[in-house]
Amino acid sequence: MLKHPVQLAIAIAFLALAAVFAIGASQLPSDGGYAGVGSSFVPWVVSAFLAIIGLLLAYQAVTTGFRSLDAGDAIGSADRRGALWVSAGILLMAALITRIGFVPGATILFVCAARGFGSVRPLRDIVIGAFISFPVFWLFTLVLDVNLPRLINDWL
Amino acid sequence: MIETWNLLLGGFATAIQPANLMWAFIGCVLGTAIGVLPGIGPALTVAMLLPITAKVDPSGALIMLCGVYYGAAYGGSTTSILMNTPGESSSIMTALEGNTMAKHGRAGPALATAAIGSFIAGTIGVLLLTLFAPLVADFALKFGPAEFFSLMVLAFVTVSSVLGASMVRGLASLSLGLAIGLVGMDAIAGIPRYTGNVPEFIDGIEFVLVAVGLFAVGEALYNVLFEPKTDPGTRNKLSSIWMTRDDWKRSWPAWLRGTAIGFPFGSVPAGGAEIPTFLSYSTERKLSKHPKDFSSEGGKGAIEGVAGPEAANNANAAGALVPLLTLGIPTSATAAILIGAFQNYNIQPGPLLFQTSGPLVWGLIASLYIGNLMLLVLNLPLVGMWARLLTIPKPQLYAGILVFASIGVYGMRQSSFDLFLMYVIGVIGVIMRRFDFPVAPVIVGMILGPMSEKQLRNALSISQGDWLIFFKQPIACTFMVLTILVMFVPMILRKRGVRLSEDD
Repeated sequence: MLKHPVQLAIAIAFLALAAVFAIGASQLPSDGGYAGVGSSFVPWVVSAFLAIIGLLLAYQAVTTGFRSLDAGDAIGSADRRGALWVSAGILLMAALITRIGFVPGATILFVCAARGFGSVRPLRDIVIGAFISFPVFWLFTLVLDVNLPRLINDWL
Repeated sequence: MIETWNLLLGGFATAIQPANLMWAFIGCVLGTAIGVLPGIGPALTVAMLLPITAKVDPSGALIMLCGVYYGAAYGGSTTSILMNTPGESSSIMTALEGNTMAKHGRAGPALATAAIGSFIAGTIGVLLLTLFAPLVADFALKFGPAEFFSLMVLAFVTVSSVLGASMVRGLASLSLGLAIGLVGMDAIAGIPRYTGNVPEFIDGIEFVLVAVGLFAVGEALYNVLFEPKTDPGTRNKLSSIWMTRDDWKRSWPAWLRGTAIGFPFGSVPAGGAEIPTFLSYSTERKLSKHPKDFSSEGGKGAIEGVAGPEAANNANAAGALVPLLTLGIPTSATAAILIGAFQNYNIQPGPLLFQTSGPLVWGLIASLYIGNLMLLVLNLPLVGMWARLLTIPKPQLYAGILVFASIGVYGMRQSSFDLFLMYVIGVIGVIMRRFDFPVAPVIVGMILGPMSEKQLRNALSISQGDWLIFFKQPIACTFMVLTILVMFVPMILRKRGVRLSEDD
């Protein structure tokens, strides 16, 4: 039985990435002119580098595990609900920002993330979230000329 | 020499313009704040502030970003001393003695020696920068692509092998950074690579996005998953900041020694302030006339153990600007992102910088003198105000960091695609943190990777494909030999039981 399945998965991810980069490199022109190395040369090197790292990590994972690592594979104690709230906040903002505007989007992110970290007063968080987002919105749009999506129907 | 002073005076003329003074002040305030706050470091802050490069003139923006970089080195000590939770990893050593002193009612003198030591070390550091940078730049004018490429290889290897617990994992992070750096347009032939027909990838993956994803989202997710929800316990009371005559006597030599250790380490690509702060701490312990005071001996905390590492930390920050400005070589994640800020203005840090953008560089250096003075004032009389930042509860603190991070990323090119990508990179960041992969090599790899490919291909064009060019030219060869030697440093350090963590 494998002692470090997650570590092995990380090693395999490196090998997979190496394969992806190798396939990509094989489709690039290799003509290098005077230098002798073209567009595909460094991609090949990076792909080989990734592969070597993947093999070394795989070797460590199947033997004694990654060297000098305290955490091991212990991911059981993790607070998944908290992480779900934080993730939901970021993804909701990403999905909604162009539709509902910047300030509401950022407020949703703030409330969800605070909830994930154990805040139990969502109403207060809404107020703080909006209080933080408004001045930032003005700073970016008015002072820095960065276009942030406005509230619905451009009211603000 | 006189020429240097004239240039510096010209720099002061730029730096004391009201707008630039204001930018320096904003940078110092922000830098101190993020230095004090846990969970947010200079690399992330500088990355989030990069959108201002679109609007503000180069000297103002760079003065502010350097103020952040510099201020963070000051603020870190406050958290270490009052809470025993270092705000930055470079203040871990400060926490050892500083927090013990605070527990015995001497938080004030600990904070004072940290702030004054930072000021002295920072000022001496900037003075050394003023003297050495033009010399290094002159020397580096002789560098061709071969020299730059070998210097970059040296930087890659030192940044990824010296930090972190394992060289394999450091190099793994570097390989990821290099891979990310390949996405987008090939700098020499203009051929798109690894874009997978996603139009957003043609310009490459923005390093701001990667930095914010890894540092802000990764840190927040990691924290919510694995760190306890309760507040980290008691905060030590602030006491009067006056130092006794004995405190001064013990601090002075430690400040100077810390500066002497910190500056040279900053100017070589050794990846941040951990090694010099550690060395300074162990030096002070060895030389101290009061060994019984050290916390490991059960003492009340030795002031030289705060003074030395804090001075080393700040001198290190000044030292890191030497290779950054004169060679364009970053020695830490923050420095790498600062290079990105220059590039946003189409300014390439390197030996030519002092010739092509003289007024800008000298204005920047002059502003560092002023910034140090501002930071001393901000940190010494106003330390109580900063300590109050520590009362922000964790949910609102991290939620706020995430809001600012998303704005920084979204503000770059108004693309919600970037926000999703930021989240994915954040998840990778959690895995990296959990399995102790250092993060800095990713950033350095992705910024320095494309630059080094350009140098490599130019060097080989010049030599008509002869690879031995990197060993035939004496300077390039020296860097290559150093690279090989550096590989052995972590082995030696680990054998002596030194374990270094990285600075974010």
